[in-house]
Amino acid sequence: MNSLTLLRAGLRAPSLRPTVPAVLDFLAPSTLQTRRQYNSTAIRQSPASTPGSSKPKYVLNAEQKEYLDRALRVNQAGELAATLIYEAQNPQVVRSHPHLRPLMKHMYDQEVGHFKTFNQLNAKHRVRPTAMYPVWEVAATFLGWSTGAMGREAAMACTEAVETEIGSHYNDQVREILSWKAEAESRGEVLDEELEDMLVTFRRIRDEELEHLDHAVANDSKEARPYDPLVNVIRYGCKAAIKITERI
Amino acid sequence: MTRSQSLLTLSRRYLTTAARPTTTTAAAGTAPSKLASHFPTHPQPRLQHLRHHCPYTSRTTRPTIRTYHSAHHPAPLHEYSNSQTTILSASLRHVPTHGFSRDALTLGARDAGFLDVSVQLFPRGEFDLILFWLASRRGLLRSRVENDALLQAQDGGAPLSVDEKIKVLIMERLRMNEEVRDKWQDALAVMSLGENVPLSLSELHSLLDDILTLAGDVSVDASWYSKRFALAAVYTSSEFVMTRDSSANLRDTEEFLTRRLADSKAIGEKITGVRQCLGFMGSTAVGLGRSWGLKI
Repeated sequence: MNSLTLLRAGLRAPSLRPTVPAVLDFLAPSTLQTRRQYNSTAIRQSPASTPGSSKPKYVLNAEQKEYLDRALRVNQAGELAATLIYEAQNPQVVRSHPHLRPLMKHMYDQEVGHFKTFNQLNAKHRVRPTAMYPVWEVAATFLGWSTGAMGREAAMACTEAVETEIGSHYNDQVREILSWKAEAESRGEVLDEELEDMLVTFRRIRDEELEHLDHAVANDSKEARPYDPLVNVIRYGCKAAIKITERI
Repeated sequence: MTRSQSLLTLSRRYLTTAARPTTTTAAAGTAPSKLASHFPTHPQPRLQHLRHHCPYTSRTTRPTIRTYHSAHHPAPLHEYSNSQTTILSASLRHVPTHGFSRDALTLGARDAGFLDVSVQLFPRGEFDLILFWLASRRGLLRSRVENDALLQAQDGGAPLSVDEKIKVLIMERLRMNEEVRDKWQDALAVMSLGENVPLSLSELHSLLDDILTLAGDVSVDASWYSKRFALAAVYTSSEFVMTRDSSANLRDTEEFLTRRLADSKAIGEKITGVRQCLGFMGSTAVGLGRSWGLKI
């Protein structure tokens, strides 16, 4: 019986009380336009009003966002590892082969640049870093140190194996973003400039990584003994690390 | 009550949920009046039936994963239906008197002109109300920073450091709980029930993530995790102190928070110091070995 009276009170309620509180402007966006909402529409429209394009922006769906999230996390971890590998190889390789000093420095500087790029991108897009961060730090330092200790050829074979994996990984990402671009164009939309920038960045970094690969081959990476086991172990290790980093 | 009035003013784009609320596919459309007109006197059996067959009553909701933020791709807005937000917001007015309870939900539904049975839109009952409180306060915190310049330096002062900003943000968030202070322990108890823990933690993570981002923290290395863990400990303990704090303007809580932040900073510095020392010793040993001609 109590419920009946409550029910009746509920039926009566709209006539007695001012119903939806007017301050809840998120419930009635069309009637109450606050300063904030003008701002937000301004933000949404400003990219579209940039010169040259008045097309609508391509909107990423949840899976694409997750793909980017994973890709950026892997890229950051990969560049961290590359930086540490070169850092650990450098003293031993340079001591026995001083003529490699400029090359090692060149490659190291580029990797540091890539690492900074991804740190900024990840902070901007609020991408979670991998939980394996400390583990990869130790693993990469060990890999760099051990191949450096095995000699110049082994160090270069390590570079070759790592850059092969990383290069194809970046290539996949470029291909993925290009497929989004094609889809956007078929719908008469354009990618936002952040994605366009990312495409340019990924391409540049991929080319630089492949340049490292060429340097490694030019410096007798194929002479490393034992070549096949060494390169395969490093390549499968990289693949496993990428898979792990994507998830955690 | 002017303060609570102002607290309810929240632009739509600030209400994002860390956790999916009860999925609203079938139930969203079922306006309470429709239900009631079919079953004016005995709505319960019908709703029991719904409970078994509609996905919206499933209690196994997963926390949403927050991925890739970008100004061009704003996070999806909350997934509450309009009737749900209306009832929940109206219920918040009754929280200071009735606590986070089904009573507050019922009274809120009545205020908004819904039937009492529409409380069935919230299969998790009071926990839905708590989640809405958390999500909306979090949104309010963001809107304070973006619209009210909460983190601007006081006139003439130097700009706030990241640590100071974090403190200001946590204090601001705790002050939002001030009017429900007496009821908050009950809410904490509900949140700590086994089935509610994942969503509560996800909401806590979203809050800390927002606080760190708003404070301008850009670390994306291993400290990303340690900072969040440390802040979670500091925030939850301060929240607990707040529920027992009767001083004016939460002065005791603020002092407690200041001490805890100083502690966590001191611990962090210790760890950094130890790590630097070990690293230095290691590189010295390697350098020494190399100078002896060892191939290391």
